[in-house]
Amino acid sequence: MSFIPKKEASAAKIRTVTLGRGDRSVVIGGQNVLPFYSFDAPIAHCPIIGIEISDRIAQWESPGIREFYHGCTTLSDYARRAETMEGADFLVLHFESADPGAGNRRIDECVCDALAIAKECSMPLAIMGCKNSEKDSALFPQIAQALPEENLLFLSVREEDYQTIAPVANACGHVICAETADDVNLAKQLNILLQNAAVDGSRIVMNIGTAAVGYGYEYAASTFDRIKAAALAQADEDLQMPIVAPVSPESWSVKESIASEAEEPTWGSREERAIQMEIATAAANLTGGADAVIMRHPAAVAAVRQFLDQLV
Amino acid sequence: MALKGLDIFKLSPKKNCKECGFPTCMAFCMKAAQGSVPLSKCPYFSEDAVKKLSESSTPLMKTIDWNGHRLGGETVLFRHEKTFVSKPLFAVSVDTEMDESQITARLASMERIDFDRIGERMYVESIWVSYRGCDPGTYAALVQKAAAVGRPLILDCRNERCARAALEACSGAQTILNGAGPDNYEAMYALANEFGVLLGVNAPNLSDLYDTVVHLEELGCRNLLLDVTAATARETFANAVLVRRSALKDSVRSLGYPSIVNMTRFAAGNSRLQTAFAALFIEKYGSIIVFDDLTMAQALPLYGLRQNIFTDPQKPMKVEAGIYPINGADENAPCAITVDFALTYFLVSGELEHSNMPVNLLICDASGMSVLTAWAAGKLSAASIKKFLEDYEVAQKIKNRTLIIPGKVSVLQHEIQELLPQWNVVSGPPEAVQLPRYMKDREYEAAAKAVEAEKAACHVASAPQAADMSFEQLLETRVPKIEVEDMGVRYRGRGPDSKTFVTIGERIHCISPAIRKAMDERDPAPILKRAAEQIAAGAVYLDLNIGPAEKDGPERMMWAVKLLQENFDNVPLALDTSNRRAIEAGIHVYNRSNGKPIINSADAGSRISNIDLAAANDAICIALCSADGIARDNDERMRHCHNMLERGLALGMSSDDLWFDPLFLVVKGMQDKQMDVLQAIRMFADEGLKSTGGVSNNSNGAPKDLRSVMDSTLIAMAMMQGLTSAIINPCSRRMMETIKTCDIFKNNVLYSDSYLEGV
Repeated sequence: MSFIPKKEASAAKIRTVTLGRGDRSVVIGGQNVLPFYSFDAPIAHCPIIGIEISDRIAQWESPGIREFYHGCTTLSDYARRAETMEGADFLVLHFESADPGAGNRRIDECVCDALAIAKECSMPLAIMGCKNSEKDSALFPQIAQALPEENLLFLSVREEDYQTIAPVANACGHVICAETADDVNLAKQLNILLQNAAVDGSRIVMNIGTAAVGYGYEYAASTFDRIKAAALAQADEDLQMPIVAPVSPESWSVKESIASEAEEPTWGSREERAIQMEIATAAANLTGGADAVIMRHPAAVAAVRQFLDQLV
Repeated sequence: MALKGLDIFKLSPKKNCKECGFPTCMAFCMKAAQGSVPLSKCPYFSEDAVKKLSESSTPLMKTIDWNGHRLGGETVLFRHEKTFVSKPLFAVSVDTEMDESQITARLASMERIDFDRIGERMYVESIWVSYRGCDPGTYAALVQKAAAVGRPLILDCRNERCARAALEACSGAQTILNGAGPDNYEAMYALANEFGVLLGVNAPNLSDLYDTVVHLEELGCRNLLLDVTAATARETFANAVLVRRSALKDSVRSLGYPSIVNMTRFAAGNSRLQTAFAALFIEKYGSIIVFDDLTMAQALPLYGLRQNIFTDPQKPMKVEAGIYPINGADENAPCAITVDFALTYFLVSGELEHSNMPVNLLICDASGMSVLTAWAAGKLSAASIKKFLEDYEVAQKIKNRTLIIPGKVSVLQHEIQELLPQWNVVSGPPEAVQLPRYMKDREYEAAAKAVEAEKAACHVASAPQAADMSFEQLLETRVPKIEVEDMGVRYRGRGPDSKTFVTIGERIHCISPAIRKAMDERDPAPILKRAAEQIAAGAVYLDLNIGPAEKDGPERMMWAVKLLQENFDNVPLALDTSNRRAIEAGIHVYNRSNGKPIINSADAGSRISNIDLAAANDAICIALCSADGIARDNDERMRHCHNMLERGLALGMSSDDLWFDPLFLVVKGMQDKQMDVLQAIRMFADEGLKSTGGVSNNSNGAPKDLRSVMDSTLIAMAMMQGLTSAIINPCSRRMMETIKTCDIFKNNVLYSDSYLEGV
């Protein structure tokens, strides 16, 4: 061998975080190399895919998604079907309707859904709030207490609401996703605040801010790069949390995924556009270093699963 | 990568013969590393050493110009370290196993991808023509067919005879011959040489690839691309990363070439999988990415991603200025105006689309800055909006006279209204997310009606235009008399030959609501209070920021200058505004007994003429080493510095009157650029130039109790580098004590046990 490349495995590594309980659990993190750099050292845990289902799922305008969930009526129906999706690793219950501006669904109804799904499904569960801080602050603790020791993942807490959510979620043995917007300094700060609030570092994952590709994604990309550099090369323990990227809520709300064929006659099938947008955004996030991506469409999930299988 | 003096020294003869004019080889090598003396001044470097040294001064990754596209030339592994420079090109593939109709369809579908995305043409840049075993004539015919489309070709062919036929068929021009391997590189190089084309190299593994490149380099071949494709995606990714990383980080020059990633080898026939891998290789590190086919559904996200990743992180992405009709807006729809920062555009246009209300979005040129930054820099002002409406003939194109301005600059509403009397100027919400509701509830209509009514109610008698009046006239009619009040604070002055650090107090700034209000109302008290505090704390100069003040800049500035100087023993001032006439007016009434006025500021871009203003008025000028936007590196900073220096000197200024500002950068966001700024200060000092800057910018957004620690630590580091002045908050005791202590260590002032006392 005339040329032997240098290996760059780092002494520091990403923390491992377990989602779900017992035989229904899955572990993320653990890498001591950059994403997919298996030539430097083996990849400890392959990134995973979470399937987003929502209490507004019936309004999603995708023929492929509709067909996949054909016959489902309750949120538990959707959840059980989602578990059968090829490539799925965990379920994400998105309580979109809880938003006071979009239905203001009652908290006890949401809790009821979560309980039913936890009982009927076997995959780890993530609970995604409605992004209204006040409502999430009320909703998350209720679900956390209703399902103690289930090791649920709560998406997300932010600097403005972590104080009400984090202690309860932590006390009940759940995992918290700390959300910041494309800013490495803010990401570090929120992790420190959470640990100061007695949240165990092994129960924190990060949403460092994402965007659909083409929509300012460079900020997300560089935030990923800088966080991974800090976590591994600088061994910064406050940034060694695994990263969860909610891809689908972003990718399905941009023009490429929404505009009808009549509006954009040269763009071709809307369904295919939305699938490709979801795939490209998920792959970009995984390339940056997401340990889990949240997705919707079965075809997109299948492609990203294949992508992961071939790389890890 | 620049060579360090010690690297050169290791290769030097180490005989200290002094023939070069330096006392030791070490001294010579240090100077050579700075580039101030050529290596050839020493006759004793061995040939081998000279070769090594000249090699190490060439870039680590070769740049290849291919049909107007730049390939390679990257200097960093991550875009935030500097920037990526050469976006990957996309190619679609045709091969000799496809039948006639498939080929025609493939080429036709490729040509359908051609659209504009934020000022960039998105299309498939090249065609990959793959030889899969056939006679030379068949391959040549395929190549000819592909060439007819008019896009540059990549000939993927390791068969020498067929490659020759193909090159003859397309006359060789503008192509890449991707055909060299460990077993045929000599023949392929000869062919590439004969036809003057670029050569692509592929090998079964990285080690063989490296060896083959080394052999080709020995033959004199440098116009290479490395086809890093392997049988699996995993191995291909490993190759792509290792090639780039070894070249840039470990200086393995034989791997410093652009790469080719051929996805048809490991993801054939699967367009969705190819999309995922393309995203991977756009980020890391493909130079040419080959697809089977490319549909619009794939192209939309992938070109978007490519455009994102290959924007320069130091230059905010801009959208084209102009009128953007949204939701089918026509001439009867209202107008909403904002800046050309791409993120702002995406947010605002997205939210306006969600509102489902027709609206004409006007994007004005603000150098790609966000709304507030643009306002503060004078790039978004009443005058700039007026100019935009005129340049783009908005009034002729749109009948509706409602103009919604960003809520964040609602302070501009009256000024704009005055400049645009035929419009009804209303203030939108401060955040983009509030737009859908604002539009749906038609808040803008109600507001516009209110403005209309107000206009009808007050027919102001037309006063003489301030713009036509001389400074003397303005002084007489528009500037209130100054009353001198004894506040118990005296300005003590600074010896003209003193070497001590020059502090410029930053506290009189119109970004403070209290100061803005006081200036609007010509209320002396709040301004005098802040001036007294700063002078008592030991400020040498006071900065006087009146904002863009387009309406009444000259009279506002004259009033403020007289107010401060008459109350505080002619304290010297820095006149801080983007309004030129206001600066001239300020100088007109300025008293120089305690120091020349400072003009804050000129830059190397649109504000360079403020240097002329300083020269004409014998003023000091703060010279920002930036043009439009922050300088990317110190090469650019120094280029701007020398530009402005040359201009000032040509106009007869003394170099001492140009104070160069490297632009201190905020730690939260630009932590990795802090040392660059400090290095720039050292470069100014080494050239004997004076320097200054707004140090507190570094700690923007940090908690209050941290700011004074950060600011004073940075000032100590900057003074060590040779900073001669700074715009600071003199009321911070820690800051002033740090500066005084640094002046002691720098031997600028004689030590005594009481050196901290007094000012």
